[in-house]
Amino acid sequence: MKRSLLALLVMAMLMAACSADDTTDDATEEAAEATDDAAEPTDDEPSAETEEAEETEETAEDTEDATEEAAEATEIQMWVAFTDYRLDWARDVATAFTEAHPEIAIDIQGYDDYESLFQATQLAAEQGDAPAIVQYFEVATQEARDAQTANGPLFANLEELIDGRDEILGEPVVLDDVVAPARDYYTLDGQFTSMPWNTSSAIMFSNTTMLAEAGITEPPATWADVDAACEAVAALPEAPTGCITWPNHGWFFEQSLGQQGAVIANGDNGRSERASEVELDSQAAVDFVSWWADMEDAGHYVYTGTQRDWSGTYNAFIAGEVPLLVYSSSDTTILTEDGTAAGFDVVASPMPHNGEVDYAGNLIGGATLWLTNGLETAEQDAALAFLQFFSNPENAADWHKVTGYIPITESAISLLEDEGWFEENPNSRVAGEQLAAADGSVASQGAILGSFVAIRDVVTGAIEDILVNDVDPAERMAAADAEAQTLLDDYTALYAAQ
Amino acid sequence: MSMTSLLVVPVLAQLPEDGGFAVHASMLPMHATTAAVGLLVGLVVWPRLRLDRRAGGVIGAVVGSVGPLLVTVPLRGCTFEPGRDPVELWLGIGIAVATTAALLAAVVWLARMAAVQQGRLRDTSLEQGGGAFRTGPAVPLLLLAPTLAVLVVFLYWPAVETVRLSTRIVRLSAPNQPFVCLGNFTRLMEPSADPVAIVLSVAWVVATAVVVVRRRRTTVHVMGDAVPWWLPRVRGLIGGAALITLTIAVLGDAYQRVFTTTLILSAGTVLIGLALGLGIAWLAFQPLRGQGLYRTFLIWPYAISPPIAGVLFYVIFDPIAGIAGHLVEALTPFELPNYRTDPTLARSVVILASVWKTLGFNILFYLAGLQTVPNDIIEASRIDGANGWQRMRFIILPALSPITFFLVVTNLTYAFFEIFGTIDYLTAGGPVGATTDMMFSLVRAGRVNGSFGEGAAQSLILLAMVLVVTAWQFRSTGRRVSYGA
Repeated sequence: MKRSLLALLVMAMLMAACSADDTTDDATEEAAEATDDAAEPTDDEPSAETEEAEETEETAEDTEDATEEAAEATEIQMWVAFTDYRLDWARDVATAFTEAHPEIAIDIQGYDDYESLFQATQLAAEQGDAPAIVQYFEVATQEARDAQTANGPLFANLEELIDGRDEILGEPVVLDDVVAPARDYYTLDGQFTSMPWNTSSAIMFSNTTMLAEAGITEPPATWADVDAACEAVAALPEAPTGCITWPNHGWFFEQSLGQQGAVIANGDNGRSERASEVELDSQAAVDFVSWWADMEDAGHYVYTGTQRDWSGTYNAFIAGEVPLLVYSSSDTTILTEDGTAAGFDVVASPMPHNGEVDYAGNLIGGATLWLTNGLETAEQDAALAFLQFFSNPENAADWHKVTGYIPITESAISLLEDEGWFEENPNSRVAGEQLAAADGSVASQGAILGSFVAIRDVVTGAIEDILVNDVDPAERMAAADAEAQTLLDDYTALYAAQ
Repeated sequence: MSMTSLLVVPVLAQLPEDGGFAVHASMLPMHATTAAVGLLVGLVVWPRLRLDRRAGGVIGAVVGSVGPLLVTVPLRGCTFEPGRDPVELWLGIGIAVATTAALLAAVVWLARMAAVQQGRLRDTSLEQGGGAFRTGPAVPLLLLAPTLAVLVVFLYWPAVETVRLSTRIVRLSAPNQPFVCLGNFTRLMEPSADPVAIVLSVAWVVATAVVVVRRRRTTVHVMGDAVPWWLPRVRGLIGGAALITLTIAVLGDAYQRVFTTTLILSAGTVLIGLALGLGIAWLAFQPLRGQGLYRTFLIWPYAISPPIAGVLFYVIFDPIAGIAGHLVEALTPFELPNYRTDPTLARSVVILASVWKTLGFNILFYLAGLQTVPNDIIEASRIDGANGWQRMRFIILPALSPITFFLVVTNLTYAFFEIFGTIDYLTAGGPVGATTDMMFSLVRAGRVNGSFGEGAAQSLILLAMVLVVTAWQFRSTGRRVSYGA
């Protein structure tokens, strides 16, 4: 008895020692950070990056103000799934926002892709350490709405927080100006719970210089057109490696189902009620995957061998290995530029569809910005104001120009039209027009369901199996359907009311 | 005492918060069987320990009859519920019986300790270099307390938590953790009657019987002739093959692939890695000018982390811009297939990368080992006319056996637990799961898909496999190790 008491005492002392250390460490670290932050604006030496030199000069003038304000500054953490020029763009906007609101600092962290950002957020939320603003991709919408922490839902309802205000901290609210496709996708139970930012669709890019050599004047519009064009390209005396490629990503599968008017889940694609059954082996699904596999067998479709290979497929198109690329409109601007630089013309057109069934519509892709619950009022308003500033007409138009994501608000569209942007850059028009051509059915709105992120991976894996191992598409999709159903059933059990 | 408390604590920690334990009539045969076995063990072992036979019987029977509860109570007896999948039922029985066996072994060990303490049995621990504190157990326990505290917090508690998670569906930011019995395990299983596995198992039983019967029949004088020298070896091989085929027969399609991939990658990494490591160490051991420099460069790859190795080989074997493909095209009329779509090549590249990664470590230890091989024996053998190969085979290899044993263990550990870093960057488990090994699969389930229940279940399966491999290691290689004493 005595011994165990002694052991307990020793353990307790150990633990106390450890935790005491932790708190002091944290405190010192925070203090150090705070001094760093305060010190930054006072730094008179120009920074290594020339881009930042201007800012330093500007801030140097009101050095004293900055040091005083640093003490009460509101810092907003924001995580996004970009690490390239798109992250730089976001950071530039954040800097511009801080210039207008010196008391608010926005710290933006970049992640490699949506998937890893999604995981990082879940882990951070579990530890009670989630950032104020998170960019969640469209497939995670259901999971974002259901996510729970110890103190209730992880994410706040943006519409409720705005609470009918026209402006927040002087920034006009633009949430009600968002274009229809994004609004339709993200509105559930009449609520618009997050702030749309980057919204794209799957479109096709053609190397028309090469197509013209093969005697094709118009980018192919249907599967049959693609087949015919590919035969012609393969018959070229100096034929390229293949004819068409796109990343093996579940998103393109979903796009095709939308085009063919097929739903992925019951409950009207999970829109009229919570989806409880998936449907990955419908006729439309099997038709699309079979067409894809046949193209691969014929040597027309080039599979890079890596799932979700955005860069490999992009490079194959720019390197002239394939004249056709189905891709996200998110990269329209840079793709067009890179193609031109490589010496050929790039023409964007809608994603090819199954000509034998009526066209229902393509879906959106991309992500929205979610605000976490439990922020203090000042932080919350700062974050809300930033989100409105982030997608104000000028920024939304600029974002569209830099990337190719559709202009997210109506006023951004009119701004671009006034500038004559679309006449000069016809490729940038395609995604928006394609989305507008949808018939508004639930199939064309896209599915909302639990475990969708994992289910998308199941689809991607099944298609890889079909492409690489030549298994029967119908059988393999049926197996994938069963696998996905298990995931959805698990999800239902995880989130069912206790 | 410590052993039993180790076993009891997990059980208490595991007691379900919601829903209680239900007794089912179908549990009785299992309890009766384990109780009978316990009784038998008690009756046989206690007299051998010079302890009271009757007490042994009682203790054995009690432990045997209670043992399965260690498993069935935390599981709420769910595997015995009517209408359960038979796979789940038998898996539950298997785990319960194995736990009972472990408990019985622990009790026998305790009985042995008691017998020693009562002076009924000679204490052999001192002869083996053991010792005792004069002050009694208080001081050693106190001295061990910091270590134990660390182990409890960072090892035992997570282990218990893993067991708990493995019986639930758990995902981050989900409000519920529904209890699914052994569903996370049976998900991976789909037993089928594989004729090869059955034939091999029968052959193993026959071989074992022959060995046992022959050894019994013979007297000490003819011991050497009783069992042909090759029989135990063949029996071991058949046993290993039977175990592998049985495991494959029990697993479902998807996990079968993961299991065989693990075997292929581990065997490839260990065998090729050790052979190559020894070969290069042998060369670097020769007195050469600038050998220090060579040796340093040879050990270099070891300082690189597995993911970096993955990135390096990713670049080397890149189907479009990789230098490997370029070389093959330039030097031979063939074209290197794309390893990202060719399963065999993908596995080979993973093995190559991990062999390269561990090579420095293997060379380092073999170099050290070679320096300890007694030179006089080699010289003596040289005088006796042994050629280079014979010197290698009969002197150097046996002298290196402790190093080899150590390297097999560390390389296997690397192959099981660390290759996934290389895989992640090199092939991401593809194409179509051809390079998804058990560790990668569980990391993906737990960390990427956030499905901690599945991940926990898979990690327990991996643990079981590592236990089996380690046991086999110590029995086969370990016994042949000569420490030259």
